[in-house]
Amino acid sequence: MPLSTQSQADDEQYVLIASLDNARHLSNILKAITFKDHAIFTATPNGLKVTVEDSKCLQANAFIQAEIFQEYTIKEDLGFQINLTVLLDCLNIFGGSTVPGVSTALRMCYRGYGYPLTLFLEEAGVVTVCKINTQEPDEPIDFEFCSNNVTNKVILQSESLKDAFSELDMTSEVLQITMSPSQPYFRLSTFGNSGNAHYDYSKDSDMMELFRCTKTQTNKYKMSLLKPSTKALALSCKVSVRTDSRGFLSLQYLVRNDDGQICFVEYYCCPNEEVEED
Amino acid sequence: MNCVLDGNCVKAFGKAIHALSRIGDELWLDPMVRGLALRSVNSAHSAYACFLFSPLFFQQYNLGSVSEQGNETIKCKLIMKSVLPLFRCLTSIERNVKRCQISISAPCDRVMIQFFCRHGITKTHNVRFQESEPLQAVFASHLCPNVLKTPPRLLGDMVMHFPVSQEEITLSMTPLRVSLRNYFEGAKDQIKTMHTEITLHPEEFDYFQVGVDLDITFCLKELRGLLAFAEMHCLPVSVHCSATGRPVCFSVEDMVLEATVVLATLTDSESRGPSQPTETPVPTTPRCVYAAALPVGSCEAHSNIPQDIAAVTEIVASSVDSPIINPPALTQLLPQTVIPNEFCVPDAACPSTSTTPASTVICSLLFRALSSDEDEDDGCAAGLNVLACYSDEEETM
Repeated sequence: MPLSTQSQADDEQYVLIASLDNARHLSNILKAITFKDHAIFTATPNGLKVTVEDSKCLQANAFIQAEIFQEYTIKEDLGFQINLTVLLDCLNIFGGSTVPGVSTALRMCYRGYGYPLTLFLEEAGVVTVCKINTQEPDEPIDFEFCSNNVTNKVILQSESLKDAFSELDMTSEVLQITMSPSQPYFRLSTFGNSGNAHYDYSKDSDMMELFRCTKTQTNKYKMSLLKPSTKALALSCKVSVRTDSRGFLSLQYLVRNDDGQICFVEYYCCPNEEVEED
Repeated sequence: MNCVLDGNCVKAFGKAIHALSRIGDELWLDPMVRGLALRSVNSAHSAYACFLFSPLFFQQYNLGSVSEQGNETIKCKLIMKSVLPLFRCLTSIERNVKRCQISISAPCDRVMIQFFCRHGITKTHNVRFQESEPLQAVFASHLCPNVLKTPPRLLGDMVMHFPVSQEEITLSMTPLRVSLRNYFEGAKDQIKTMHTEITLHPEEFDYFQVGVDLDITFCLKELRGLLAFAEMHCLPVSVHCSATGRPVCFSVEDMVLEATVVLATLTDSESRGPSQPTETPVPTTPRCVYAAALPVGSCEAHSNIPQDIAAVTEIVASSVDSPIINPPALTQLLPQTVIPNEFCVPDAACPSTSTTPASTVICSLLFRALSSDEDEDDGCAAGLNVLACYSDEEETM
């Protein structure tokens, strides 16, 4: 394969080399968080993390562990900011067709601070080299969401939530999430032009894999902020919904790729200013 | 009002709402003792549909207690756009919904539609409504000289041959055959489009009665919803019509429900004239308005209506208790959106024998909000607007 014929010497200069036989394993995950143009790329020996933020209220992270890559070599922790839309366009440069057996191979290389991110993409013997400029990374927001502070947590099979999210009344400005140890247990509510709607998931539901709610909490989140998470939901098989004592929301999606490997996408969202208790 | 439908019935209910959404933008919900009626009318008031679900259709059907005098139940008008999305995906409803509860409680302005789904999931929708007089069209089925009853799917199979964009079709009936063909407005359309005509022998029908030869032209789009519903339930479709320019009624029924669509038909000099010589509304323009005949209103009907009124229409019993009306009083009870005054003219004489201007206006427009009895030209002009409205109300699944 042409990508692997690069000489050892070339490779020495790279701080990060990551290769995938199927670029879709990366591009699909990135699609789940592409609601803004720019993303912060962070790489550690554990793998890649791509972060996208919106108006300081929403943060989405995609984690692609080192194990997903066929080759993953990193010399030091690094970070840069990059145009996510351009990156996705490059990853799909061969058209992103779904012909079985044909996939785009990827070799991602980075020389370090100030250098562009170089992508070598190959499909059916044709190689494309893309160099995408990188920028100084902004500091990602730390939502200070820690497990100790989690008041309510549920894990649901994504199938059940997908229906609800596709039916959500988009004329509602907020999505209200109620979690409680008693009825209605887990409720999504919208308040739209034609009236309100509630989606209730019983704690005994067979879609409910885990139900751990300690106190009744109702929080409202801007619908416009949460709408992009539908993409992640669509890719995922399970989702964990957690709220902490401040009402901050954490959505974690378990995404399985074609090869059965697991990646994670998470969304953090601030509640709307006025928090009502039901 | 409180009713519960089990899973299988929710799909039928949803299909009814789909059919009604093809007619109008608003949905009238009328809980009555004899069942729950869902109705809609288009903005031009030239198409009306009613789906009546008898109490047997429901697992539970309660009208609630009588609160104020004479006003037992609430009649509501909902916006179709608020209700249709709840029933949009019928396959998903079929898969997931175990039970559906619909209730209206007096003090609030919301209809609660609750879906109890598999996997312990409950979806509750509280949809705003406006209290409203019930909508009802009047049609004298038993007075129609022409009656057809088609076996299930026959009509659906016939209209399948017309393109989806086909606005109007013409149904021709003679004692020897029935045919359906597409209708074109002007010469230039005729050149560009494909003409289709399907002819059936009387034997194809379960019931065939043609008292008068006639051609009626009506809007196909508004009928498709009912045909889809009939097909889903394998129900025969009955067609009642009396003359060119008079409304045509399509209906289906089974033990627990009845559905009716009444469509105004063109009074068009292009179509072959009705064979009833007295029935000639002479249009002032070559293409005249859709003839209407359905006074819509909340009127109580009694069978001892004076015969000349009965000759024109039969007032169907409505849920609102009102005194028996003598024709002149009809207009007084009409809700603001209904019935041109001149409808009562038949009291004096049958429309067929009344003078031309009156009959033209009588025959024009189903139940329009604006009655232009003064000026028949206005009537026709407004009627021309009617024809333009059809494509606007399409709801695509």
